[in-house]
Amino acid sequence: MAKSLGIFVTNPEQFKHVMGITKAAKAKGSKVKVFFTWDGTLNAKKEAGFKDLCELADDVSICADSYVKQGYDVKDIPEGLDEKKMATQAQHGIIIEDYDCYLSL
Amino acid sequence: MEYNKVCLMYRAKDSTVDGIRSGLGLAVENMYAYGVVLDDVTMDKLDENQIESIEMLRDMEGEIYSTNPANCELNGLEPITIEELGEKLRDMTHIIPYGIK
Amino acid sequence: MKILNVYRSEPDDTTKKLVEIVTRDRESDSFDLYTDSPDYDALVDKIFEADQVISWW
Repeated sequence: MAKSLGIFVTNPEQFKHVMGITKAAKAKGSKVKVFFTWDGTLNAKKEAGFKDLCELADDVSICADSYVKQGYDVKDIPEGLDEKKMATQAQHGIIIEDYDCYLSL
Repeated sequence: MEYNKVCLMYRAKDSTVDGIRSGLGLAVENMYAYGVVLDDVTMDKLDENQIESIEMLRDMEGEIYSTNPANCELNGLEPITIEELGEKLRDMTHIIPYGIK
Repeated sequence: MKILNVYRSEPDDTTKKLVEIVTRDRESDSFDLYTDSPDYDALVDKIFEADQVISWW
């Protein structure tokens, strides 16, 4: 069985790689969780493929506090997410604790 | 039980304070969390809330270091050299070059 | 312990110095993510094989 992979996104310029790596990992049968923080959360509003990522990965969430600090209203939930996925840094902890492989981008 | 040891490193002024917050987030999840502000960043004076975050991190046996003496002096960060940082990283379970350069 | 160094941009002196110390006497591999068309399939294989992945700025 393929290893699981958690991706922690802190850089808004890495979305292409987030997608590419998620696609490749899913093709190998991996469970993939992605968590966006700080200006990485801009991807949720500015990247056309964000919704596709949410459908492709097993779990996608963003740091709600970071999102607000980037100027967005927390009630303005990006397409592909729901209220529960407007999350906290605890999601990063889950990636570290519960996933076989860790990648920051 | 083995605890995770995580070191986040910051090279962009804009993401440093949030990166420290990420470190605190891991400390409350029972990990040893450290942050390092590298030479590239000359920090502004931290506000009361930000200093409180660092103190909370220290209470949980974490620390914020800087290779830039000006940041240590201004914000009370622990000094560290790049060589000392490299040695410290060898002991980490997770190494996170945070944000943009 | 096998370390995979992933480079998001061409490594500068700071990154090179840290990589040198972290990988000293350890098995290591690397992957350049800053190329035009990274082979994500190969990267995921390397991630799965590594004990620790460091994705440098």
